[in-house]
Parts: sequence; C-alpha cells; structure tokens
Amino acid sequence: MISVKNMCRYIYILVFSALMLLDMPGAFAQADTATADTTSDHKVKKPDRAGHQLCISVDYFHPVMNALLGDRQSYEIGADYYLHNEYYLAAEGGFGSATVGYSDLSYNTNNSFFRFGFNKSVLTRTRPGDWDMMFIGLRLGAANVNRGFAHYTIVDSLWGNDTGSRQGTSFVPVWMELTGGVRVELVKGLSAGWNIRGKFMLNGKSFSALSPLYIAGYGRGDKNTVFDFNAYISYSIRWRRKSLEALEKKAPADTAKPTLAPAGKKENK
Amino acid sequence: MIRKDRYVVLGAVLAVCVIWGACKQQRQPCLTPKVASLILETMHITTDTGTIFSDTSLPAAQFLALPTAGNADTFLFTQAAVFTISLSPTSNSCQWLFRADSVANSPRGTLFDTITFYYKRDLQFLSNACGYVNFYDLDSIRTSHFNIDSVHIINASVTNDISKKHVQVYIHPGF
Repeated sequence: MISVKNMCRYIYILVFSALMLLDMPGAFAQADTATADTTSDHKVKKPDRAGHQLCISVDYFHPVMNALLGDRQSYEIGADYYLHNEYYLAAEGGFGSATVGYSDLSYNTNNSFFRFGFNKSVLTRTRPGDWDMMFIGLRLGAANVNRGFAHYTIVDSLWGNDTGSRQGTSFVPVWMELTGGVRVELVKGLSAGWNIRGKFMLNGKSFSALSPLYIAGYGRGDKNTVFDFNAYISYSIRWRRKSLEALEKKAPADTAKPTLAPAGKKENK
Repeated sequence: MIRKDRYVVLGAVLAVCVIWGACKQQRQPCLTPKVASLILETMHITTDTGTIFSDTSLPAAQFLALPTAGNADTFLFTQAAVFTISLSPTSNSCQWLFRADSVANSPRGTLFDTITFYYKRDLQFLSNACGYVNFYDLDSIRTSHFNIDSVHIINASVTNDISKKHVQVYIHPGF
C-alpha cells in the first residue's frame, strides 16, 4: 500500500517533471540560443549556436567527507552532454562502502551506483560560448548493495544479553532525485560547481529487514527522503555543430553579424 | 555568465555544508522503546456477587525474575493493577515469581506463585539507531495457584507497543 505521503511525493515529482518537459516559455527564456525568434510574427526556428559540449565531472565533496568521517567511502564521477535548448543529458556513477561498528550492531556494506537523467539550465546565456549554468534536474538512480554478515547483541541486564548474526544479502534500491546547482567556468574548459539533491527512495520497504546505514550515491539507507550535496571539478570538451557549420557556409554574412549591438556604441547618423 | 565573486559565496555554502555533514553523522539516538514489554493486568472476582473487575487492591505486589543467566531482580510495585515485566530474549520460556502482597502478615498473601511464560521469539530490526530487538508470540502460561486463580492471554503478540495489555491474571477470590 502506498501511503498518502508517498503518493503526494510521487505526484509532486511527476508534476515537476511534466513542467520541465513542457519547457515553460516564460520561466526558462533563453537569449540568443532560444528556439524562437520573437522579432518576427512568424516564429522561425533559430539554430542552436552553442555547439556540443561533453563535460566530465569529479566529485570532491564526498572524498573530503570520507576523510572526516572514516567509517564510509564514496566516490563518484559524472558526465553530461549538451543536447539542445539548454537541456543536458546527465549520467553519474560511482562506488562506496560503509562500516557500522556499534557495540550492539556491526556490519559492512559496499555498493556501486548509477544515475541518469537530465539538467535544464535556467541561466540566460550571454553568448554561445557562455557555458556557466544554474540548473535544475531530475535523476533516476539505482544501486547494487551488498551487505555482509550483521552481528548483533540484544542488551538485557535482567535476562542476559542475546547475541547472534544475520546472513549477508544483496538488494537494489531505486530512487528519484531532484537536483539543482551551479557550474562556473574558471578557465577555458575547466569548471567548478556544486549541486544539492533531494532524494526519494522508491522501494525502501524492500530491504527493511536491515536497511543499510549508508548507500553510496544515495545517503542514509534507512531514510526514504534524504538530502545530499556534491561539489565537483569538471572538464569540458567542446566542438561545433555540423548543422551550424553548414548554415555558416550557406550564409556567412548572416552568422558573422553579432545579434546585439555592443553596449555603449552609438549609431552614426 | 556568473560573476566570479558570487562563486566565493558559493564556496562558503560548500564549507558550511561540509561542516554540517561532518557534524550530523553521529549515531542517531534511539527514540523507540528497545524492550518488548509484557503488560499484566490483575483481575479480581468477588466471592459474593461473582463480579469481575480490574483489581487495584494489590497493595504491594512483588515480581521476582528467575533468570538462568544474568542477575536475579525483584520488582516491587506500589498499589496497582497493571504491571510491566519483560520476557527473556535468550530462551523460549521464562519464569517469574509473583506474590500479591509483599508486606502482608497473612501466610497466604506472602506466598509466591510461579508464572511460566512459553513463547516464540521473533527477531526484529528496529533501526540502525536502536539495533535488533526480540518481539514475542505468547503460546501459553502456567502458574501455581496460591494467590492466582487463573491467567488469560488477551493479546499474544508482545512488542514494544506499551499501550496494549497482554495477560489478565485472576487473583483468587479468597485473597
């Protein structure tokens, strides 16, 4: 049975996704990369002058946390590819492990994970080569978690302690993420950024027998809603669109012209 | 394009998040009861009318655990009709000694009854904060009959839910 709370959560995700896919024209208006030319009555599709970009990112937030905490490891990398109209196809993956060493409960887990989805930049592009972005995105994530033997002690001062162990097991948690963040180009091709993630477990009940304390890529395995943070360094590879090259060959004078007059330059009369 | 000075602010956000993350990773406190409690209610049958009512007249009931391991422990209660005891997590049965009045001068009131609980254990994972706990499914109860007339299981499932009563203990009408 899906609870009302979960139902509301899924409806919220669905509505959010639908709004993003509809690409609300007012909210996410872009400058010269917009698909529609607003200067004419007939909307003519303009070519996306931004070109192609494949961006590889390495998260450094979690390695820092690994060093601070010591009982868990998590490493992740990501890649995104610019599609069109400020949409980026995103894929992320990684691995990690955790050790729970309480006096009454101890076990180890390790897992790999994969997430895919998309980002939508909501920042107005000032020129085709401006790749700074403020984005929101949606992901679907899954992990393959292996838990080793769990050793437990039930502490009872009256009857005596009861100790035992539970056999290890594997399970596949699946979750949905809403993400938002910023990426800024520091030098040519090299960017830095961060994002926050709200994560919603979709099948948390399936491993309630001993939900792992930590799942790399997700966070606290015993909670159905978690928030996470990533900070990363990215390197981007860019190349021009073939369609744009063809267009430039066809009408070189048109494309060479800047779309906006430079600021401060007055027209001679 | 994002102004680079804004990125300094973003860096500060990052630093705060790192500290926040590092601080909140301690083991969460366990906020649910970790012991499955067996709740007994003593009932009384009046000799003249045969009316059954919840007995609040036990002035100083005493429960004494008889563990096979661990420390023997006595629980003395002031005037009450509802008593909370525990079952052994190490075996499928356990014994308690019970007397209705630990301060009575009459020989009958000071005699101990033996209550033996038979049950199945059900290992439950509560959370990473609380660990494992045993819940119990009561099969049967045997008693001696100095003060106890009979016992009746009204809810066989013994969990950490402290709002449910499990066993009614009928005190001998002559007490």
